[in-house]
Amino acid sequence: RAHSNPFSDHRLDYPKYPESMDWGKFYPAYHDKETNQMTQDVEIADIGCGYGGLLLGLTKEFPDKLLLGMEIRVQVSQYVEDRIIALREKHKKQKVNYQNIAVIRGNAMKFLPNFFKKGQLSKMFFCFPDPHFKQRKHKARIITNTLLSEYAYALREGGIIYTITDVEDLHKWMVEHLEDHPLFERLDKEWEAQDKCVEIMYNATEEGQKVARNKGSKWVACYKRLPTPTI
Amino acid sequence: MKHPFQNIEATSTHLFATVKNSLQVFSLNDGILVGEWLDTVDSQQNLVKQHQAKFEQLQKQEDIKSSSEEPETKRAESNSKTKIPKFPTPGPGAPPIYNYIRCLELTSDEKYLIGTTDSDKSIIIFELDFNSANCLKLVKRQVFPKRPCSISVADNNTTAVVGDKFGDVYKIPIDCEPPIDEKLLKPILGHVSMLTDVLVGENEGRQYILTSDRDEHIKVSHYPQTFVVKHWLFGHDEFISSMIFPSFDKTLLVTGGGDDSIYLWDWIHNKALASFNLRSLVEAYLNESHYPPERFRTETSVKEICVVKIVSSGRKIFVLLENVTCVLYFTINEDLTFSIDKVLDVPHPLVDLTISENQLIGASDSENILTFINIDPFEVVHNEISSKIAVLNPCDVSSRDDFYPLYAMNNLRKRSEH
Repeated sequence: RAHSNPFSDHRLDYPKYPESMDWGKFYPAYHDKETNQMTQDVEIADIGCGYGGLLLGLTKEFPDKLLLGMEIRVQVSQYVEDRIIALREKHKKQKVNYQNIAVIRGNAMKFLPNFFKKGQLSKMFFCFPDPHFKQRKHKARIITNTLLSEYAYALREGGIIYTITDVEDLHKWMVEHLEDHPLFERLDKEWEAQDKCVEIMYNATEEGQKVARNKGSKWVACYKRLPTPTI
Repeated sequence: MKHPFQNIEATSTHLFATVKNSLQVFSLNDGILVGEWLDTVDSQQNLVKQHQAKFEQLQKQEDIKSSSEEPETKRAESNSKTKIPKFPTPGPGAPPIYNYIRCLELTSDEKYLIGTTDSDKSIIIFELDFNSANCLKLVKRQVFPKRPCSISVADNNTTAVVGDKFGDVYKIPIDCEPPIDEKLLKPILGHVSMLTDVLVGENEGRQYILTSDRDEHIKVSHYPQTFVVKHWLFGHDEFISSMIFPSFDKTLLVTGGGDDSIYLWDWIHNKALASFNLRSLVEAYLNESHYPPERFRTETSVKEICVVKIVSSGRKIFVLLENVTCVLYFTINEDLTFSIDKVLDVPHPLVDLTISENQLIGASDSENILTFINIDPFEVVHNEISSKIAVLNPCDVSSRDDFYPLYAMNNLRKRSEH
């Protein structure tokens, strides 16, 4: 199924709190067996990563950072996991060896704070999210005012939210809600033009490639996480 | 027989009780009825209104089409596409529709009482005037997009903070101004799963909102800058049903829910201070009704514990569990641990629990209607006003089959089939 209901009680695994997460399972090359600690934290999250195209596009752009895809659909996340395992095996003697990317079957709308500490992330991607066209399904959209407060918690100050969609109405919705949120500020076309991630986002995802083949439009909006105001 | 009270709240002088769509106020001095309110809004009536509005809207569309310059064939085609929706009437076997008044909350100055209605998904705000023949004066009825299910009070008793079953939280002024159009309400914060409790806390001159949900989350947000999340209190393994600040120290938080344990937190500094496992205390009080529903039962199923309500008096914490004939009495020690003082037998299960001065009052699942418990010493005491109040309860039913669900909290437990 293309759709997945984020409100359902999926049989999902999620840590009780960020410190209890066993990241070593996902990034064994970054797990220090002596200290049983990770040598670094996940820093970039692809929310709703689909078939993993963006992760693959970003892996060599950020070779020294850990990237995580979160995908709620079980068949899709399994596909990506198998894909990464195969790539790690095939490229294990090479410089780009895919050890810094991983995928989790997870519901980010519900459990993002269970995975990530305050200010842990530098980038969050929302590529071609489910538009949930019906009015009464808008609460299920991945960008809402209330969810943005939780994304702002996980993002460090100066961190970036990237959005892209081929549905103009959804684009407008995301822009409207991000503009309305006090912790986010739009980055302009000039910034978009010089940012490598925007280019990768345009071209690397399976959905993006499909839209391009069909000569459809793609709508991008990027936002910076502002400093928390003094309260 | 009398239907048990479903929600109760008390001051030192008065008891507030709901049963079905009735709200009653009794003097605790003599059991006299001093206030009463009946929710006459019929949820079916709501549907009638919605249907009529829809019908009128379609009628307008028809008029516009017929007055346009469209060619005849196109008009005929579009006319045939316009369907008048059938009025939705529940069929046989449809689940019963309950019209509760739920969630009573008093402002700390005891000037206002706030409740929630299922009939039209509203909060109802009453000004309390004990000089009137009926102390309940409805000053506001605010409709929400989704059923409200928890209430707290902020801003020095001027703002109601309301959580709904969709996980959204709204703030509503406690005043006599007209209600806000529900379509114009914007949530101040949210969860993705059902919100179960909301508290407003204060520390060093700042206000915070604490919200709990079905997915084991307790979120601490700044208020009124609710777009800034302070942190989450992680530790629960199941839904949270009840959160309270113990009255002797509001920087502490006690929580309970579908776990076997209750928890003590330093909520400002995000520290879990203590927990206490209740199972050994209550095992003897659990019965067949505490097993999972038949279709989820396995060989290894255990009876499930569900905290319904936690109330406090100083360092004393009282815990009510769902459908058991006992009340648990804990002390928060100087070193911020829990110790169990007593497991008190009560004659019948209690549906709700509240505190009034040096007494607990339980809404009893029995003809006695109320159970009175002295705090020191901790024991059930006979109180003759219970029988006076029982007579005044307006809901007579012929059998327990006519009871509204009294023990529904444990339905919050997630039971995944896929």
